[in-house]
Amino acid sequence: MNATSQQQGQGQQQHPNIEGRHDDDAALSEFLASLMDYTPTIPDELVEHYLAKSGFQCPDVRLVRLVAVATQKFIADVATDALQQCKARQSAVIKDKREKQQKDKRLILTMEDLSRALHEVNIKIVLISDNIQKSSFQDDPIVMMK
Amino acid sequence: MSDGGNEESAREIENVIEINPVISRSGANEFGRAIAKIAVAQICESVGFESFNESALESLSDIAVRYLCDLGKTASSYANSAGRTACNVFDIIQGMEDFGLLRGVLGASEAHNCVIESGALREIMDYVECAEEIPFAQPVPQFPVVRARKLIPSFLQMGETPEFKQIPDWLPAFPDPHTYRHSPVWNERVTDPRADKIELARQRRKAERSLLSLQQRLVCNGDVIASTSTTEPHDSKLEMQPNASENPFLAKPLQAGEKDVSPVILPDTVRNQADGENHISLLEAFAPAIEAMKDGPSESGHDVEKTLPDKRPAVCLEFKTGKKVLGDLLDLRLRNRGSGRTASWFGHNDEKDDKKRRAEFILRQSMENQQELTQL
Repeated sequence: MNATSQQQGQGQQQHPNIEGRHDDDAALSEFLASLMDYTPTIPDELVEHYLAKSGFQCPDVRLVRLVAVATQKFIADVATDALQQCKARQSAVIKDKREKQQKDKRLILTMEDLSRALHEVNIKIVLISDNIQKSSFQDDPIVMMK
Repeated sequence: MSDGGNEESAREIENVIEINPVISRSGANEFGRAIAKIAVAQICESVGFESFNESALESLSDIAVRYLCDLGKTASSYANSAGRTACNVFDIIQGMEDFGLLRGVLGASEAHNCVIESGALREIMDYVECAEEIPFAQPVPQFPVVRARKLIPSFLQMGETPEFKQIPDWLPAFPDPHTYRHSPVWNERVTDPRADKIELARQRRKAERSLLSLQQRLVCNGDVIASTSTTEPHDSKLEMQPNASENPFLAKPLQAGEKDVSPVILPDTVRNQADGENHISLLEAFAPAIEAMKDGPSESGHDVEKTLPDKRPAVCLEFKTGKKVLGDLLDLRLRNRGSGRTASWFGHNDEKDDKKRRAEFILRQSMENQQELTQL
């Protein structure tokens, strides 16, 4: 709401700003409409379940799709980083032997690459020993990702 | 910068995800995680990975679920801050911006930006346009499935009026008194001892008859010896054997003249005379076989009353060559009637003798065949 008050105070600059806002509104509504065509990989039912669990209440399907797309983008980014890590490691091995490269052509998602990629998003993965039987994060995440 | 560094380290500590290898999960949670696993695997595949480590996939799917939950929580908290319970698109965008701050988003530094112009949203819009659309692999049912509970019907639905005035009739009804109070039980069935006895006797007789017929059948099937000389009335057999399980040789002896027995001349080797107990029992035993030979293989177990003819005509039958042994035996028996050799069949109930005689007959038959063949 600060943005609108500032824009109103600008007087002559209102018109283009208002128009800009209208454009933005239009863009947003267009985007939301386009979301209905786009089927995110994460199914709607799953997203609805977890959102309902966390208190998110909205009957609109587009918002559910928006959340699904946001999560998908996040995971895709993490996976891309991990892939880069994996490729970087493989390229380091090339100079040793050609045969090894042939074998390692398969790109495998490993914990090491994943933890490195997640480090960039400030998520640390710690392995707890087997002695602790009860899971500590069954339903509620311990951690906020902020 | 030091402050920033401290903050960062604080944030790092917060974002620790503990992964426990031994985890017991339950219910809809497990299902949700499984589906998340599949979705995440699909995303990674589209990015370029060819295979995954199980632990890596699990942790990444867990992170995805957490992201989802946290986004929902953030959005709902923003909505609550604005005095609403239902969430808005703006709440979601603000949540996304919060998460986007971790990685850095274009335009994040501008404090008074309109939400619509947020960089996070723009990133997502670009992503939607550029990225390939990969729908989820399988159809997912609506979950968690809410099972419709069977509700206790109310007083109104039962058609009852509650006993006490203060209870409204739309409340669930009380359970029936027999569920919590012991009530006497009456035996409704009326017993008729006489009818029971009659029924019992009838069933016993039925069982006797069936056992008898079974025995007859067994004897008939096991016995190849055929004779048409004598026929026995079957009801006499019934009288003789009130209990089918009893040894027929131990049955009560008949009085002389009680039974119509054909005048057969028994050889002296037979101990018991015509009126003897064993002899009669033998005759009885062979009676069904005789009947079968006479009438054909159809009926052997029914009560057939036959009167013995006083005079037995000597029947000469001609049989063609190549007949079954059975037929030949009959023929020979008939021919030998006059000589009275048939009686010997009854007398000698020796199996070995039987076989010996059969062998002799076969030999004779073959001899005759040869003779007839030579004639041709």
